[in-house]
Amino acid sequence: MSTKDDRMELLQGTLDLLILRTLLPGPAHGHAIVKAIERNSEQLLLVEQGSLYPALHRLIKRGWIGVTEGTSENNRRAKYYRLTAAGRKQLTVETTRWDKLTRAIARILRPASEESRP
Amino acid sequence: MSHPLDNLGDDIRDHIERETQENIERGMSPAEARRAALRKFGNVALVMEESRAIWISVWLEQLLQDIRYGVRGLRRNPGFTAVVVLTLALAIGMNTAVFSLVNAILVRPLPYPGPDRLVWLGNYNPFFKAEMVGSPDYVDWKEQAASFAGMVAFGTGGYTLATAEGAGQHVLADVTADFWDISGARPALGRFFGPEDREGIVLSDELFEREFRRDPNVVGRSVIVDSRAVTVLGVLPKGFRFLLPADFGLPTGNTREIEGYIPNPVAWQHPPRGRNISVQLVVAKLKPGVSIERARLELAGIQARIAAAQNPNARYDAQSLRVTPLQEKLAAGARPALLVLLAAVSFVLLIACANIANLLLARGAARQKEIAIRTAIGAGRVRVIRQFLGENLALAFVGGALGLLLARLAMPVIVRLAPPSLPGLGETTMDSRVLLFAVAATLVTGFAFGITPAIFLRRSRPYEVLKQGGRTSSAGSAGLPLRRLLVSAELALALVLLTGAGRMSKSFWRMNTRPAGFDPERILALQVPFSGPRYRAVAEQRRFAEQMLERARQLPGVEAASVLAQGQLRGSGTAPHDPNLTSLSSSQVMHLPHVTFSTVSSGFDRVMGLRVVRGRWLAESESGPAIVINESMSHEVFGEGDAIGRQLGLADNVNDPATLAAIVGVVSDLKYSRLDAPAEPEVYIPYQISTSLLGMTVMVRSATSATAMAPAIRNAIASVDRTQPVAEVKTLEQALADSIAPRRFNLYLLGTFATSALLLALMGIYGVIAYAVAQRTHEIGVRMALGAQRGQVVRLVVLEGMRVAAVGITVGLAAALALTRLMASLLYDVKPTDPSTYAAVAAALAATALAACCRPALQAAWVDPARALRQE
Repeated sequence: MSTKDDRMELLQGTLDLLILRTLLPGPAHGHAIVKAIERNSEQLLLVEQGSLYPALHRLIKRGWIGVTEGTSENNRRAKYYRLTAAGRKQLTVETTRWDKLTRAIARILRPASEESRP
Repeated sequence: MSHPLDNLGDDIRDHIERETQENIERGMSPAEARRAALRKFGNVALVMEESRAIWISVWLEQLLQDIRYGVRGLRRNPGFTAVVVLTLALAIGMNTAVFSLVNAILVRPLPYPGPDRLVWLGNYNPFFKAEMVGSPDYVDWKEQAASFAGMVAFGTGGYTLATAEGAGQHVLADVTADFWDISGARPALGRFFGPEDREGIVLSDELFEREFRRDPNVVGRSVIVDSRAVTVLGVLPKGFRFLLPADFGLPTGNTREIEGYIPNPVAWQHPPRGRNISVQLVVAKLKPGVSIERARLELAGIQARIAAAQNPNARYDAQSLRVTPLQEKLAAGARPALLVLLAAVSFVLLIACANIANLLLARGAARQKEIAIRTAIGAGRVRVIRQFLGENLALAFVGGALGLLLARLAMPVIVRLAPPSLPGLGETTMDSRVLLFAVAATLVTGFAFGITPAIFLRRSRPYEVLKQGGRTSSAGSAGLPLRRLLVSAELALALVLLTGAGRMSKSFWRMNTRPAGFDPERILALQVPFSGPRYRAVAEQRRFAEQMLERARQLPGVEAASVLAQGQLRGSGTAPHDPNLTSLSSSQVMHLPHVTFSTVSSGFDRVMGLRVVRGRWLAESESGPAIVINESMSHEVFGEGDAIGRQLGLADNVNDPATLAAIVGVVSDLKYSRLDAPAEPEVYIPYQISTSLLGMTVMVRSATSATAMAPAIRNAIASVDRTQPVAEVKTLEQALADSIAPRRFNLYLLGTFATSALLLALMGIYGVIAYAVAQRTHEIGVRMALGAQRGQVVRLVVLEGMRVAAVGITVGLAAALALTRLMASLLYDVKPTDPSTYAAVAAALAATALAACCRPALQAAWVDPARALRQE
């Protein structure tokens, strides 16, 4: 468990990527998506939960995720978001781009000798 | 499939509940858990807003695409587009123009601080048929009432203002010092008078300009107001106006503006109660949060105490106390007329919508194949409807923009035609409210005429349409019932407007009929309001009149001249109608319900062309007190009896000694001061025995042009006494026309609307019949091939058209009858249910509808059966 001070705000645009990644194993509802992001980042990433929803709609509009109505574990009605084929492709593209970006930034921030350890 | 945005609120609520649940499981108290969950979620409203915003842009993009597509389609059909756009421009233009008027007069807040808290206070006096406040009552209200932040008493009057340069007649208002706070005015020069100032004058910017040539040293100068020297205290800023009710008569008709302000003596005089009390007009400002009703109750309480103190037995009638929002009071009689005009003009818009929907249906029918193909290859039906809407919105916006331009061009014309007495009229502009109205009207019309054809066409089945394959689809005629319905509705609406305009024209015509011998265009009326202490004595007034008449009569071109000074009496009694009365005392005369006393000279009958019915007219000098009455008066008092030789008591006051005057003649009734009211019972009194000539008008009948006489007569008046200014010069014709200016204005506008409605409706019926004929060419060809005569074909077509017209006319007549109540206040001497107008309008509409059917009918009759049959 991290202390509050260790937490980081999400970088602009990274939430979309994280949502796509979170949905890779299978459909999930809104709350589950945020929880997964928080859990998998070992609570380091601070997601304002509300910002998930505009992001979800943005992704639906672009055709990267779809939405289906379903019932959740305790028999409640909920919307399940799932990755579409286009979304799966986009996830690959975004991940590649993210890797390139972090590598480039790391190269600038650290001396060449340390570069071997990303 | 449902939209992802559906139930967004539920989704978010669900999310927060889950988070709360988790927090509870982690050991928080429920309240704490919920708070933490909400904090973590962030701003719910903002989240919903942002989520929606993402989708709106898509919708807008598609709509723009549809509009672009629509514009392309419209460019391919310039004729159709022009007709629709012009129809719309006309309708929206008219509506916007009328709304600008309504906005300026009824809607826009008054240009004073806290406009919604300003009220007009008055006790309705049935005797004078006016709202007024006795000066002592005002003093009590002002001292005792707690509901008001300020209360101003005022009066208006014509005053002679003399400066070093000369004397002139001006309209001044005497106001209490509260006026400056209530009006929110700030002096442009000098200062205003306060409660302690008992003399002084504050000039309007116009007076400052005209009489003092904007001399900055005017403050502190002395001027003479009605022979009293007063100091100029200050000048008002340009554009400041004291708005008065629309039906408020100012003492001189040349101006509608108050030109200067002097202190109202009621502030320090504490006038005594009793007979002959002076009256004030009162405007007050409510304290914030005080309702009109509360203020009224408080004043009624004070008024009841006053009444009880005066006469313990009298019951105070609280009904007479009126507290009216100032804005409503200012619009006065203009309100019903404006609302009728607004209703009328919206009818025109409805008709325009129906007409355009009709055109679109016809066009849509022709385009069914295109739509069928697009539906067949997978265009969503919603998208097809939206494409129609896009096209129609494009049409509506072009039409709306053009309409706005038309309204902008028409506004100055309308304002010039409008009676100048309407407050706020001069400030009629296209403000944001008007623009908003125009945009709303455009959008609503765009949807109204766009949605009908779209829904109708959506219902048609692509398979059926495509199967027919050919250019003429019988599916087009399936739209005909709807189109006939639309045209019937148009005709009904047009009929309602036409009956309204018809009844108004008829009352206008009734008002303007005048008896032979009465030539108002040849009569010049010059107002000479006596001013100065010299003319307080009636003997001086008489001497002035005598000398002036003497000189005027000698002028070349003057056929006759007379003085005229009128007083109205509205008694509370009933008319006796008693043929056996020989004499009526002055107190009995004063109780007659309504009498006009006209002080005249012996030339009056020739000036006016009065017709003597019995007896004779007044001679230059009479041996004893002699009077002439009109027929209405004779009937009121003596019924069928002969009035000649009987006597009427004349006195200014019930207690004054009366002069008993003998009736020497009866003349026919003549309306010469107001055209829109019936002639009242009238008594003509020679100025030699009249007790007052105040408010005198000099009436001159000229042999040729009345206006050309004006300078000569002004000179004649000035030669008698140079200090007496002539306040106003008008031909009687002009004065009469002014008396019905508001009615003329209403008639012009309503007439324009009704004519437009008629033209649009005719276009509609012509379009439908022509279309029906085109659709049935084949059928007609078959009929003719089988031996139908041309006459029979014409009959077939005309009957179809007239069936539509008959439905429209019947419904229209019923609607017009149902709406008569609206019109009642705008009519004069014509019953709202005037059957002849209804009959005439219905017949005229039927005849024009028939004419509109003729061309298509003849076209049908000349169809060549061989060619019509080959077409299939």
